[in-house]
Amino acid sequence: MLHRRVFQFFIVYLLGIGLLFGIKLALNLSDYVIPGPTGVWHTGQAEFSRYMGDVLDTFAVAVIGQVLSILMALGVGVAGRRATWFGSFIKVAAYNVQAYPIVAIAPILFILLGDGFLTRLFIAAMICYFPLLLSVIGIMSEPVVDIEHFYRVTGRMRWQLEVKIRAFENLHKLTTVISGSATLAMAGTIVAEFIAANAGIGYSIRIALYQSDLSKILVALFIIGITLSLYQGILELLGAGLKKAWAAG
Amino acid sequence: MSNKKAVNRDSERIPRGSPRGCGFFWCEKMISCNDITFRYPAAEAPLFDGLDVTIDKPGFHALFGPSGVGKTTLAKIISGDIDNFSGQVEAIGGMRCLYTYNRERLPGWSSVGRHLEKTTPPGRQPLRDEFIHHFGLTKLMGMRYSQLSMGQCNRVNLLRYLLQDFSILIMDESLANVDEPTRQAILYKIKSIFPAAGFLYISHNVVEVARFCDQIVVFRGAHQSPQTCRISGQDHREDRPLDKIALERSMLEIMNAA
Repeated sequence: MLHRRVFQFFIVYLLGIGLLFGIKLALNLSDYVIPGPTGVWHTGQAEFSRYMGDVLDTFAVAVIGQVLSILMALGVGVAGRRATWFGSFIKVAAYNVQAYPIVAIAPILFILLGDGFLTRLFIAAMICYFPLLLSVIGIMSEPVVDIEHFYRVTGRMRWQLEVKIRAFENLHKLTTVISGSATLAMAGTIVAEFIAANAGIGYSIRIALYQSDLSKILVALFIIGITLSLYQGILELLGAGLKKAWAAG
Repeated sequence: MSNKKAVNRDSERIPRGSPRGCGFFWCEKMISCNDITFRYPAAEAPLFDGLDVTIDKPGFHALFGPSGVGKTTLAKIISGDIDNFSGQVEAIGGMRCLYTYNRERLPGWSSVGRHLEKTTPPGRQPLRDEFIHHFGLTKLMGMRYSQLSMGQCNRVNLLRYLLQDFSILIMDESLANVDEPTRQAILYKIKSIFPAAGFLYISHNVVEVARFCDQIVVFRGAHQSPQTCRISGQDHREDRPLDKIALERSMLEIMNAA
Protein backbone atom coordinates (compact mmCIF):
# COMPACT_ATOMS: atom_id res chain seq x y z
CA MET A 1 0.00 0.00 0.00
CA LEU A 2 2.68 2.48 1.12
CA HIS A 3 5.15 1.64 -1.65
CA ARG A 4 2.36 1.71 -4.23
CA ARG A 5 1.37 5.23 -3.18
CA VAL A 6 5.01 6.46 -3.38
CA PHE A 7 5.53 4.69 -6.69
CA GLN A 8 2.37 6.27 -8.14
CA PHE A 9 3.56 9.71 -7.00
CA PHE A 10 6.96 9.24 -8.63
CA ILE A 11 5.30 8.28 -11.93
CA VAL A 12 2.98 11.31 -11.87
CA TYR A 13 5.77 13.70 -10.82
CA LEU A 14 8.22 12.42 -13.43
CA LEU A 15 5.55 12.58 -16.13
CA GLY A 16 4.75 16.17 -15.15
CA ILE A 17 8.35 17.32 -15.02
CA GLY A 18 9.09 15.41 -18.24
CA LEU A 19 6.27 17.28 -19.95
CA LEU A 20 7.73 20.61 -18.80
CA PHE A 21 11.19 19.71 -20.11
CA GLY A 22 9.57 18.52 -23.35
CA ILE A 23 7.82 21.89 -23.77
CA LYS A 24 11.10 23.67 -22.98
CA LEU A 25 12.91 21.66 -25.68
CA ALA A 26 10.13 21.89 -28.25
CA LEU A 27 9.66 25.65 -27.90
CA ASN A 28 13.33 26.35 -27.14
CA LEU A 29 12.41 28.23 -23.98
CA SER A 30 15.05 29.89 -21.80
CA ASP A 31 16.04 28.67 -18.31
CA TYR A 32 14.29 31.74 -16.92
CA VAL A 33 10.90 30.42 -18.09
CA ILE A 34 11.48 26.69 -17.52
CA PRO A 35 14.75 25.73 -15.84
CA GLY A 36 16.73 22.73 -17.08
CA PRO A 37 17.24 19.50 -15.12
CA THR A 38 20.57 20.65 -13.67
CA GLY A 39 19.03 23.92 -12.51
CA VAL A 40 16.24 22.07 -10.73
CA TRP A 41 18.77 19.64 -9.19
CA HIS A 42 20.97 22.47 -7.86
CA THR A 43 17.95 24.31 -6.45
CA GLY A 44 16.84 21.07 -4.83
CA GLN A 45 20.22 20.64 -3.13
CA ALA A 46 20.20 24.24 -1.92
CA GLU A 47 16.59 24.48 -0.72
CA PHE A 48 15.68 20.95 0.31
CA SER A 49 16.25 21.34 4.07
CA ARG A 50 14.44 24.67 4.32
CA TYR A 51 11.53 23.50 2.21
CA MET A 52 11.32 20.23 4.12
CA GLY A 53 10.90 22.24 7.35
CA ASP A 54 8.23 24.37 5.68
CA VAL A 55 6.38 21.31 4.38
CA LEU A 56 6.46 19.73 7.84
CA ASP A 57 5.09 22.96 9.31
CA THR A 58 2.23 22.95 6.78
CA PHE A 59 1.74 19.22 7.20
CA ALA A 60 1.42 19.56 10.99
CA VAL A 61 -1.30 22.19 10.60
CA ALA A 62 -3.06 20.04 7.96
CA VAL A 63 -2.98 16.92 10.15
CA ILE A 64 -4.35 18.76 13.20
CA GLY A 65 -7.05 20.33 11.01
CA GLN A 66 -7.89 16.96 9.49
CA VAL A 67 -8.12 15.24 12.89
CA LEU A 68 -10.43 18.01 14.13
CA SER A 69 -12.63 17.73 11.06
CA ILE A 70 -12.76 13.90 11.32
CA LEU A 71 -13.90 14.17 14.94
CA MET A 72 -16.49 16.81 14.08
CA ALA A 73 -17.72 14.90 11.02
CA LEU A 74 -18.06 11.67 12.99
CA GLY A 75 -19.94 13.40 15.80
CA VAL A 76 -22.29 15.34 13.56
CA GLY A 77 -22.61 12.47 11.06
CA VAL A 78 -23.64 10.01 13.77
CA ALA A 79 -26.10 12.51 15.21
CA GLY A 80 -27.49 13.35 11.77
CA ARG A 81 -27.81 9.79 10.45
CA ARG A 82 -31.46 9.40 11.48
CA ALA A 83 -34.42 10.45 9.35
CA THR A 84 -35.48 12.96 11.99
CA TRP A 85 -35.84 16.71 11.52
CA PHE A 86 -32.37 17.15 13.04
CA GLY A 87 -30.88 14.59 10.66
CA SER A 88 -32.58 16.24 7.68
CA PHE A 89 -31.42 19.66 8.84
CA ILE A 90 -27.81 18.49 9.16
CA LYS A 91 -27.88 16.88 5.70
CA VAL A 92 -29.43 19.89 3.97
CA ALA A 93 -27.06 22.27 5.76
CA ALA A 94 -24.02 20.14 4.88
CA TYR A 95 -25.03 19.86 1.20
CA ASN A 96 -25.62 23.59 0.94
CA VAL A 97 -22.53 24.73 2.82
CA GLN A 98 -20.19 22.35 1.00
CA ALA A 99 -21.45 23.78 -2.30
CA TYR A 100 -19.90 27.09 -1.29
CA PRO A 101 -16.11 27.45 -1.81
CA ILE A 102 -14.74 27.73 1.72
CA VAL A 103 -11.51 29.26 0.40
CA ALA A 104 -13.52 32.29 -0.64
CA ILE A 105 -14.16 33.17 2.99
CA ALA A 106 -10.46 32.81 3.90
CA PRO A 107 -9.79 36.57 3.60
CA ILE A 108 -12.48 37.22 6.21
CA LEU A 109 -10.75 34.80 8.57
CA PHE A 110 -7.40 36.49 8.03
CA ILE A 111 -8.95 39.88 8.76
CA LEU A 112 -10.63 38.60 11.92
CA LEU A 113 -7.97 36.20 13.24
CA GLY A 114 -4.71 37.49 11.73
CA ASP A 115 -2.22 35.47 9.66
CA GLY A 116 -1.03 33.00 12.30
CA PHE A 117 -1.48 29.33 13.09
CA LEU A 118 -5.16 29.51 14.04
CA THR A 119 -6.35 30.85 10.69
CA ARG A 120 -4.42 28.21 8.73
CA LEU A 121 -5.80 25.51 11.02
CA PHE A 122 -9.34 26.79 10.69
CA ILE A 123 -9.22 26.90 6.88
CA ALA A 124 -7.63 23.43 6.67
CA ALA A 125 -10.33 21.98 8.93
CA MET A 126 -13.16 23.75 7.09
CA ILE A 127 -11.98 22.60 3.66
CA CYS A 128 -11.91 18.90 4.52
CA TYR A 129 -14.80 18.94 7.02
CA PHE A 130 -17.80 19.14 4.67
CA PRO A 131 -16.77 16.42 2.18
CA LEU A 132 -15.97 14.23 5.20
CA LEU A 133 -19.32 15.03 6.81
CA LEU A 134 -21.25 14.16 3.65
CA SER A 135 -19.42 10.83 3.38
CA VAL A 136 -19.94 9.98 7.06
CA ILE A 137 -23.65 10.89 6.88
CA GLY A 138 -23.99 8.82 3.71
CA ILE A 139 -22.37 5.80 5.37
CA MET A 140 -24.11 6.15 8.71
CA SER A 141 -27.60 6.73 7.32
CA GLU A 142 -27.49 3.63 5.10
CA PRO A 143 -28.80 0.61 7.06
CA VAL A 144 -26.97 -2.71 6.79
CA VAL A 145 -30.32 -4.49 6.72
CA ASP A 146 -29.02 -8.07 6.56
CA ILE A 147 -27.16 -7.60 9.85
CA GLU A 148 -29.37 -5.07 11.62
CA HIS A 149 -32.65 -6.96 11.06
CA PHE A 150 -32.00 -9.47 13.86
CA TYR A 151 -31.11 -6.79 16.41
CA ARG A 152 -34.06 -4.65 15.39
CA VAL A 153 -36.76 -7.34 15.55
CA THR A 154 -35.45 -8.77 18.82
CA GLY A 155 -35.32 -5.32 20.42
CA ARG A 156 -31.54 -5.35 20.90
CA MET A 157 -30.66 -2.44 18.66
CA ARG A 158 -28.93 0.48 20.37
CA TRP A 159 -27.48 3.51 18.60
CA GLN A 160 -23.95 2.47 19.56
CA LEU A 161 -24.47 -0.95 17.99
CA GLU A 162 -26.00 0.60 14.88
CA VAL A 163 -22.99 2.89 14.46
CA LYS A 164 -20.61 -0.01 15.13
CA ILE A 165 -22.25 -2.22 12.48
CA ARG A 166 -22.27 0.52 9.86
CA ALA A 167 -18.71 1.62 10.62
CA PHE A 168 -17.41 -1.96 10.50
CA GLU A 169 -19.18 -2.76 7.25
CA ASN A 170 -17.94 0.46 5.64
CA LEU A 171 -14.48 0.67 7.17
CA HIS A 172 -12.81 0.50 3.77
CA LYS A 173 -14.94 3.41 2.52
CA LEU A 174 -14.24 5.41 5.67
CA THR A 175 -10.50 4.79 5.36
CA THR A 176 -10.54 5.91 1.72
CA VAL A 177 -12.51 9.05 2.58
CA ILE A 178 -10.20 9.93 5.48
CA SER A 179 -7.14 9.25 3.37
CA GLY A 180 -8.56 11.43 0.59
CA SER A 181 -9.36 14.22 3.01
CA ALA A 182 -5.65 14.47 3.85
CA THR A 183 -5.12 15.99 0.39
CA LEU A 184 -7.93 18.45 1.02
CA ALA A 185 -6.51 19.46 4.40
CA MET A 186 -3.05 19.97 2.90
CA ALA A 187 -4.50 21.92 -0.04
CA GLY A 188 -6.53 24.05 2.37
CA THR A 189 -3.48 24.88 4.47
CA ILE A 190 -1.33 25.71 1.43
CA VAL A 191 -4.06 27.93 -0.02
CA ALA A 192 -4.36 29.70 3.34
CA GLU A 193 -0.58 30.24 3.32
CA PHE A 194 -0.76 31.55 -0.24
CA ILE A 195 -3.27 34.14 0.78
CA ALA A 196 -1.79 35.67 3.89
CA ALA A 197 0.13 33.40 6.24
CA ASN A 198 3.66 34.05 7.42
CA ALA A 199 4.92 30.45 7.52
CA GLY A 200 4.63 27.10 5.77
CA ILE A 201 5.37 25.82 2.29
CA GLY A 202 2.53 27.86 0.77
CA TYR A 203 4.24 31.00 2.03
CA SER A 204 7.57 29.82 0.53
CA ILE A 205 5.90 29.03 -2.81
CA ARG A 206 4.37 32.50 -2.81
CA ILE A 207 7.87 34.01 -2.44
CA ALA A 208 9.19 31.72 -5.22
CA LEU A 209 6.27 32.88 -7.37
CA TYR A 210 7.22 36.53 -6.84
CA GLN A 211 10.80 35.59 -7.86
CA SER A 212 9.44 33.67 -10.89
CA ASP A 213 11.66 30.74 -9.80
CA LEU A 214 10.04 27.61 -11.20
CA SER A 215 12.86 25.39 -9.83
CA LYS A 216 11.91 26.24 -6.27
CA ILE A 217 8.25 25.54 -6.99
CA LEU A 218 9.11 22.15 -8.54
CA VAL A 219 11.23 21.22 -5.51
CA ALA A 220 8.43 22.30 -3.17
CA LEU A 221 5.90 20.27 -5.14
CA PHE A 222 8.13 17.22 -4.94
CA ILE A 223 8.43 17.44 -1.14
CA ILE A 224 4.70 18.13 -0.72
CA GLY A 225 3.81 15.17 -2.94
CA ILE A 226 6.14 12.68 -1.31
CA THR A 227 5.03 13.72 2.20
CA LEU A 228 1.37 13.43 1.30
CA SER A 229 1.85 10.07 -0.44
CA LEU A 230 3.59 8.68 2.63
CA TYR A 231 0.88 10.04 4.93
CA GLN A 232 -1.97 8.63 2.83
CA GLY A 233 -0.20 5.28 2.57
CA ILE A 234 0.19 5.20 6.36
CA LEU A 235 -3.50 6.09 6.83
CA GLU A 236 -4.52 3.24 4.51
CA LEU A 237 -2.22 0.84 6.36
CA LEU A 238 -3.74 1.95 9.67
CA GLY A 239 -7.25 1.41 8.26
CA ALA A 240 -6.38 -2.09 7.03
CA GLY A 241 -4.73 -2.90 10.37
CA LEU A 242 -7.74 -1.62 12.28
CA LYS A 243 -10.13 -3.75 10.20
CA LYS A 244 -7.92 -6.81 10.69
CA ALA A 245 -7.64 -6.27 14.45
CA TRP A 246 -11.37 -5.57 14.78
CA ALA A 247 -12.32 -8.62 12.72
CA ALA A 248 -9.99 -10.76 14.82
CA GLY A 249 -11.90 -9.71 17.92
CA MET B 1 -55.13 3.24 3.84
CA SER B 2 -55.88 1.83 7.19
CA ASN B 3 -54.52 -1.21 8.85
CA LYS B 4 -54.94 -2.98 12.09
CA LYS B 5 -52.66 -5.46 13.72
CA ALA B 6 -54.46 -7.05 16.61
CA VAL B 7 -52.99 -9.51 19.06
CA ASN B 8 -55.24 -11.92 20.89
CA ARG B 9 -54.25 -12.92 24.38
CA ASP B 10 -56.08 -15.64 26.17
CA SER B 11 -55.90 -19.16 27.53
CA GLU B 12 -52.98 -20.77 29.27
CA ARG B 13 -49.48 -19.45 29.36
CA ILE B 14 -46.31 -21.49 29.25
CA PRO B 15 -43.68 -19.74 31.41
CA ARG B 16 -41.11 -17.51 29.75
CA GLY B 17 -37.73 -19.15 29.39
CA SER B 18 -39.27 -22.55 28.90
CA PRO B 19 -37.63 -24.17 25.90
CA ARG B 20 -40.88 -25.97 25.06
CA GLY B 21 -43.05 -22.94 24.87
CA CYS B 22 -41.04 -19.74 24.50
CA GLY B 23 -43.64 -17.81 26.49
CA PHE B 24 -46.36 -18.73 24.06
CA PHE B 25 -50.07 -17.80 24.38
CA TRP B 26 -52.76 -20.10 23.05
CA CYS B 27 -55.70 -18.85 21.04
CA GLU B 28 -58.13 -20.08 18.43
CA LYS B 29 -56.41 -18.89 15.26
CA MET B 30 -52.70 -18.60 14.73
CA ILE B 31 -52.91 -16.02 11.99
CA SER B 32 -55.89 -14.31 10.46
CA CYS B 33 -55.36 -11.89 7.57
CA ASN B 34 -58.53 -10.25 6.34
CA ASP B 35 -59.06 -8.18 3.20
CA ILE B 36 -55.38 -7.38 2.74
CA THR B 37 -54.66 -5.03 -0.12
CA PHE B 38 -51.10 -4.03 -0.85
CA ARG B 39 -49.22 -2.53 -3.75
CA TYR B 40 -45.50 -1.80 -3.94
CA PRO B 41 -44.94 1.91 -4.68
CA ALA B 42 -43.29 1.27 -8.04
CA ALA B 43 -45.74 -1.44 -9.13
CA GLU B 44 -48.66 -0.80 -11.48
CA ALA B 45 -51.00 -3.42 -10.03
CA PRO B 46 -51.55 -4.42 -6.42
CA LEU B 47 -49.83 -7.59 -5.26
CA PHE B 48 -52.74 -8.41 -2.97
CA ASP B 49 -56.30 -7.32 -3.59
CA GLY B 50 -58.59 -8.25 -0.71
CA LEU B 51 -56.49 -11.23 0.32
CA ASP B 52 -57.80 -13.47 3.11
CA VAL B 53 -55.51 -16.00 4.74
CA THR B 54 -56.28 -17.92 7.91
CA ILE B 55 -54.22 -20.50 9.71
CA ASP B 56 -56.36 -22.09 12.38
CA LYS B 57 -53.98 -23.32 15.04
CA PRO B 58 -50.35 -23.10 16.12
CA GLY B 59 -48.01 -25.62 14.54
CA PHE B 60 -45.67 -25.92 11.61
CA HIS B 61 -47.26 -24.41 8.51
CA ALA B 62 -46.05 -23.22 5.12
CA LEU B 63 -46.42 -20.52 2.53
CA PHE B 64 -45.85 -22.03 -0.89
CA GLY B 65 -45.88 -20.76 -4.44
CA PRO B 66 -43.71 -19.62 -7.31
CA SER B 67 -41.32 -16.68 -6.96
CA GLY B 68 -42.88 -13.24 -6.96
CA VAL B 69 -46.41 -14.19 -5.87
CA GLY B 70 -46.09 -12.46 -2.49
CA LYS B 71 -45.01 -15.06 0.07
CA THR B 72 -42.29 -12.85 1.53
CA THR B 73 -44.52 -9.77 1.32
CA LEU B 74 -47.29 -11.47 3.28
CA ALA B 75 -44.72 -12.71 5.79
CA LYS B 76 -43.47 -9.15 6.27
CA ILE B 77 -47.03 -7.87 6.64
CA ILE B 78 -47.71 -10.47 9.34
CA SER B 79 -44.43 -9.71 11.17
CA GLY B 80 -45.01 -5.96 10.95
CA ASP B 81 -42.02 -5.23 8.69
CA ILE B 82 -44.48 -3.85 6.14
CA ASP B 83 -47.17 -1.59 7.53
CA ASN B 84 -48.49 0.43 4.60
CA PHE B 85 -51.22 -2.05 3.66
CA SER B 86 -54.95 -1.97 4.12
CA GLY B 87 -56.86 -4.73 5.90
CA GLN B 88 -56.54 -6.54 9.18
CA VAL B 89 -53.90 -8.88 10.53
CA GLU B 90 -54.50 -10.76 13.75
CA ALA B 91 -51.89 -13.00 15.26
CA ILE B 92 -51.74 -15.11 18.37
CA GLY B 93 -49.64 -14.60 21.41
CA GLY B 94 -48.29 -11.90 23.61
CA MET B 95 -44.79 -12.28 22.27
CA ARG B 96 -43.24 -11.13 19.05
CA CYS B 97 -43.85 -12.46 15.59
CA LEU B 98 -40.32 -12.79 14.25
CA TYR B 99 -39.39 -12.90 10.60
CA THR B 100 -36.06 -14.38 9.51
CA TYR B 101 -34.71 -14.81 6.00
CA ASN B 102 -31.83 -16.61 4.41
CA ARG B 103 -29.60 -13.68 3.49
CA GLU B 104 -29.15 -12.39 7.02
CA ARG B 105 -25.60 -12.03 8.29
CA LEU B 106 -23.87 -11.95 11.66
CA PRO B 107 -21.56 -9.04 12.48
CA GLY B 108 -18.02 -9.68 11.30
CA TRP B 109 -16.21 -8.64 14.48
CA SER B 110 -17.02 -11.65 16.62
CA SER B 111 -16.94 -15.42 16.24
CA VAL B 112 -20.13 -17.44 15.77
CA GLY B 113 -19.86 -18.87 19.30
CA ARG B 114 -19.32 -15.45 20.88
CA HIS B 115 -22.25 -13.98 18.96
CA LEU B 116 -24.56 -16.79 20.04
CA GLU B 117 -23.43 -16.36 23.65
CA LYS B 118 -24.26 -12.66 23.54
CA THR B 119 -27.65 -13.08 21.88
CA THR B 120 -28.93 -16.01 23.95
CA PRO B 121 -31.55 -14.88 26.48
CA PRO B 122 -30.90 -15.86 30.11
CA GLY B 123 -31.84 -19.44 30.88
CA ARG B 124 -31.66 -20.63 27.28
CA GLN B 125 -28.01 -21.76 27.30
CA PRO B 126 -28.90 -25.48 27.53
CA LEU B 127 -31.29 -25.11 24.59
CA ARG B 128 -28.58 -23.27 22.64
CA ASP B 129 -26.08 -26.06 23.25
CA GLU B 130 -28.68 -28.67 22.26
CA PHE B 131 -29.39 -26.82 19.00
CA ILE B 132 -25.69 -26.31 18.24
CA HIS B 133 -25.22 -30.06 18.53
CA HIS B 134 -28.29 -31.00 16.49
CA PHE B 135 -27.70 -28.40 13.81
CA GLY B 136 -24.16 -29.77 13.31
CA LEU B 137 -22.51 -26.48 14.25
CA THR B 138 -20.23 -27.55 17.10
CA LYS B 139 -17.03 -27.21 15.06
CA LEU B 140 -17.95 -23.77 13.75
CA MET B 141 -18.18 -21.91 17.05
CA GLY B 142 -14.68 -20.40 16.80
CA MET B 143 -15.14 -19.33 13.20
CA ARG B 144 -16.18 -15.98 11.74
CA TYR B 145 -19.42 -15.73 9.82
CA SER B 146 -17.51 -14.86 6.63
CA GLN B 147 -15.70 -18.21 6.85
CA LEU B 148 -18.92 -20.27 6.78
CA SER B 149 -20.63 -21.83 3.78
CA MET B 150 -24.10 -20.55 2.83
CA GLY B 151 -25.81 -23.54 4.41
CA GLN B 152 -23.83 -23.09 7.63
CA CYS B 153 -24.69 -19.37 7.65
CA ASN B 154 -28.38 -20.17 7.35
CA ARG B 155 -28.26 -22.74 10.14
CA VAL B 156 -26.49 -20.33 12.51
CA ASN B 157 -28.95 -17.58 11.65
CA LEU B 158 -32.00 -19.78 12.24
CA LEU B 159 -30.53 -21.05 15.51
CA ARG B 160 -30.22 -17.60 17.04
CA TYR B 161 -33.85 -16.82 16.18
CA LEU B 162 -35.09 -20.06 17.74
CA LEU B 163 -33.53 -18.96 21.03
CA GLN B 164 -35.55 -15.74 21.19
CA ASP B 165 -39.00 -15.09 22.62
CA PHE B 166 -41.61 -15.45 19.89
CA SER B 167 -45.22 -16.36 19.33
CA ILE B 168 -44.75 -16.99 15.64
CA LEU B 169 -41.50 -17.50 13.76
CA ILE B 170 -41.59 -16.98 10.02
CA MET B 171 -38.74 -18.83 8.32
CA ASP B 172 -38.25 -17.44 4.82
CA GLU B 173 -36.12 -20.02 3.04
CA SER B 174 -34.15 -20.27 6.25
CA LEU B 175 -32.81 -23.70 5.38
CA ALA B 176 -31.78 -22.92 1.81
CA ASN B 177 -28.44 -24.47 0.83
CA VAL B 178 -28.65 -26.93 3.71
CA ASP B 179 -28.28 -30.57 2.67
CA GLU B 180 -31.38 -32.78 2.75
CA PRO B 181 -30.60 -35.02 5.78
CA THR B 182 -29.50 -32.04 7.94
CA ARG B 183 -32.57 -30.04 6.90
CA GLN B 184 -34.80 -32.96 7.80
CA ALA B 185 -33.10 -33.41 11.18
CA ILE B 186 -33.45 -29.70 11.93
CA LEU B 187 -37.15 -29.62 11.06
CA TYR B 188 -37.85 -32.68 13.22
CA LYS B 189 -35.93 -31.06 16.07
CA ILE B 190 -37.80 -27.77 15.81
CA LYS B 191 -41.14 -29.57 15.82
CA SER B 192 -40.24 -31.64 18.84
CA ILE B 193 -38.80 -28.73 20.85
CA PHE B 194 -41.64 -26.30 20.07
CA PRO B 195 -44.81 -28.40 19.83
CA ALA B 196 -47.02 -25.47 20.79
CA ALA B 197 -45.34 -22.63 18.91
CA GLY B 198 -46.39 -21.21 15.57
CA PHE B 199 -44.13 -21.48 12.52
CA LEU B 200 -44.59 -20.28 8.98
CA TYR B 201 -42.11 -21.95 6.68
CA ILE B 202 -41.50 -20.45 3.25
CA SER B 203 -39.97 -22.92 0.83
CA HIS B 204 -40.05 -23.90 -2.84
CA ASN B 205 -39.59 -27.56 -2.02
CA VAL B 206 -42.99 -29.24 -2.51
CA VAL B 207 -41.90 -32.54 -0.93
CA GLU B 208 -40.65 -30.76 2.15
CA VAL B 209 -43.73 -28.62 2.74
CA ALA B 210 -46.10 -31.54 2.05
CA ARG B 211 -44.20 -33.76 4.46
CA PHE B 212 -43.41 -31.47 7.38
CA CYS B 213 -46.14 -28.85 7.38
CA ASP B 214 -49.63 -29.05 8.79
CA GLN B 215 -51.37 -26.40 6.68
CA ILE B 216 -49.95 -25.11 3.41
CA VAL B 217 -51.11 -21.79 2.05
CA VAL B 218 -50.56 -22.01 -1.70
CA PHE B 219 -50.23 -18.68 -3.52
CA ARG B 220 -51.80 -18.67 -6.97
CA GLY B 221 -50.87 -15.18 -8.16
CA ALA B 222 -52.57 -11.78 -8.00
CA HIS B 223 -54.81 -12.35 -11.03
CA GLN B 224 -56.38 -15.60 -9.87
CA SER B 225 -59.37 -15.91 -7.62
CA PRO B 226 -59.05 -16.88 -4.88
CA GLN B 227 -55.46 -15.68 -4.61
CA THR B 228 -54.57 -18.42 -2.18
CA CYS B 229 -55.88 -21.79 -1.17
CA ARG B 230 -55.11 -23.96 1.81
CA ILE B 231 -53.97 -27.57 1.57
CA SER B 232 -53.44 -30.00 4.42
CA GLY B 233 -49.96 -31.44 4.72
CA GLN B 234 -48.74 -34.51 6.58
CA ASP B 235 -47.26 -32.63 9.57
CA HIS B 236 -44.85 -35.52 9.91
CA ARG B 237 -42.89 -36.04 13.13
CA GLU B 238 -39.87 -38.20 13.76
CA ASP B 239 -41.73 -40.61 16.05
CA ARG B 240 -44.59 -41.36 13.62
CA PRO B 241 -44.66 -43.51 10.49
CA LEU B 242 -45.00 -41.62 7.21
CA ASP B 243 -48.04 -42.36 5.07
CA LYS B 244 -46.45 -42.19 1.63
CA ILE B 245 -49.74 -42.34 -0.26
CA ALA B 246 -51.12 -39.44 1.75
CA LEU B 247 -47.88 -37.52 1.18
CA GLU B 248 -48.18 -38.02 -2.58
CA ARG B 249 -51.79 -36.88 -2.43
CA SER B 250 -50.78 -33.71 -0.55
CA MET B 251 -48.06 -33.02 -3.10
CA LEU B 252 -50.49 -33.44 -5.97
CA GLU B 253 -53.01 -31.14 -4.32
CA ILE B 254 -50.32 -28.51 -3.81
CA MET B 255 -49.14 -28.73 -7.42
CA ASN B 256 -52.71 -28.57 -8.72
CA ALA B 257 -53.51 -25.58 -6.54
CA ALA B 258 -50.39 -23.60 -7.52
